Amino acid sequence: MSSLVFYLLTVAIFFCIYSIYGWGLNLQFGLTGILNFTYITFVAIGAYFAGVAALQPGNGGIGGQYILGWHLPFPIPPIIGGIAAAILALLVGYVGLKRLRSDYLAIVTVSVGQIVWTLIGNITPLFNGWDGLAGVPQPFNSIFQLDFNHYQWIFLVICILFAVLGFWIIERLTHSPFGRVLRAIREDEDVAAALGKNVFRYKMMAFVIGSIYAGVGGALTIAYIGAFNPSGFTTMETFIIWAAMLVGGSGNNRGMILGAFIVPVLFNEGTRFLPSTPGNPLLAVSIRGMAIGLLLILAARYRPQGILPERKTIFRLDGLQQGGEVGGDRVVPQ
Amino acid sequence: MAIVSFPSSILKVTNLAKSFGGVKAINDVSFIVREGTVTGLIGPNGAGKSSVVNAISGFTQVDRGVVELAGHDITNQAPHRIAARGLIRSFQIARELQKLTVLENMMVAPFQQLGESPWRALISRRAVMREEREHLAAAVDWLQMFNLFPLRDEYAGNLSGGQKKLLELARALMAKPKVVLLDEPMAGVNPTLTKTLQGYISRLRDQGVTFLLIEHNLSVVEAICDHVVVLAEGAVLAEGQMNELRETEEVISAYLGG
Repeated sequence: MSSLVFYLLTVAIFFCIYSIYGWGLNLQFGLTGILNFTYITFVAIGAYFAGVAALQPGNGGIGGQYILGWHLPFPIPPIIGGIAAAILALLVGYVGLKRLRSDYLAIVTVSVGQIVWTLIGNITPLFNGWDGLAGVPQPFNSIFQLDFNHYQWIFLVICILFAVLGFWIIERLTHSPFGRVLRAIREDEDVAAALGKNVFRYKMMAFVIGSIYAGVGGALTIAYIGAFNPSGFTTMETFIIWAAMLVGGSGNNRGMILGAFIVPVLFNEGTRFLPSTPGNPLLAVSIRGMAIGLLLILAARYRPQGILPERKTIFRLDGLQQGGEVGGDRVVPQ
Repeated sequence: MAIVSFPSSILKVTNLAKSFGGVKAINDVSFIVREGTVTGLIGPNGAGKSSVVNAISGFTQVDRGVVELAGHDITNQAPHRIAARGLIRSFQIARELQKLTVLENMMVAPFQQLGESPWRALISRRAVMREEREHLAAAVDWLQMFNLFPLRDEYAGNLSGGQKKLLELARALMAKPKVVLLDEPMAGVNPTLTKTLQGYISRLRDQGVTFLLIEHNLSVVEAICDHVVVLAEGAVLAEGQMNELRETEEVISAYLGG
């Protein structure tokens, strides 16, 4: 019984974290139309920097070697993770967003992902190379001193708090004049520019804010698992977040929550219950990838706008129209 | 004598030149647009009209020449800077923001909205909402004038071709421009709506809006333009009033008679 509770708690925590990932990607693609095919790299940078901010200085021994080692208390590491991801976004955005069309930017992001992955794996002094970071302290557990089973509850509360705050911020931004400009840019950059909007600046802001969500989500991930290495940020991971967004409904933050439930939780976690096949331990993993791919194809065919599509903005006009009745025509110049 | 027979120029183009590879799209173009007038820019296909529009609005960089808007040099500035200075252009093919509603298309237009800063959108919600209300009131007025009000909550992508043209004009006006640059507003528009658009433009001119109008339909040009600039092969061939130009030999051979 307790192992089932343990498992459900784990799933709930990842559900929160994937929702946070999703909102960031949704701001970048769903709202602004920026094709970021290496979203997980920003997650990873957030995770690594949050990790080395929370760890004791590395001694090169059992814990491995890594930079920083500031041993900072929660919630400072997630902030550092968010800032680190934002800085990477500024660098990538400066190269990719200034002059390139979105499809070329997509190629740039794929390249950046490969470069960062290879560098982090090979330059061991950064984040302990392919072995990665381990033993990252659990937030507040030096105070509570709980065993891992009970500590899960604490961490779930932390994740829910982050998710609620993240949702509040992203909803405000989405339904503000800022979000409206981003959607205008998604529809037609030239029109947005012809209406006086600095397209590069807005795309950069969307890219950076979205990456902060990635970085903070990554920081929560490493705080929960306590470890992170390059196998945690492969292309497949980006694919899962994209699938969650497209299935849930791009442009709709509630759709993202639904997508985070369907793809990473139901499909990715659900397929763990497939019976293991003797002699072929990777079969379940492969089936998982195929199942998500199939889901994506079906969604693209039958519901391209996602289960919860972007909602139409209806303004309340009470007291504004002069013609009296709503829809009443008025002042037709001859 | 307070007769404003010669209002001051608000847009001044001097010796503009632009080549694409070996092709000279604009050779040497100079003209002015006076405040509160409708100035027409006509010429046969390939005369360089669209290139001039793109050069003025910052969508292409010119090789030579100066563009001044209300006394400010805007030559080769970024499109959004030129727009912020008060020159709003439309596009030859209507480019509505499809997945935004008609009203949202209007609401994008005002400059420097408070809530366009993500930070202010988060923390100054009241001030942002107040500003939104003001813009909404203006948007409702414009939509009612252009008979688009009943369609306000429709996605702009669902409008008919003519309605899109109207929306584009309304959206340009929403930005409170000094000069509106209309690139073939009547293209693909039925005769009835052409008349309507003509009426709107004349009326707005009377209210003080300045237009630079690119148009192929010469009867429209004759009806609403106070001044006409004829382009041919990237240079100004003639200028004046349309009824005079109809008599001019070189205009007839370059454009009208062929």
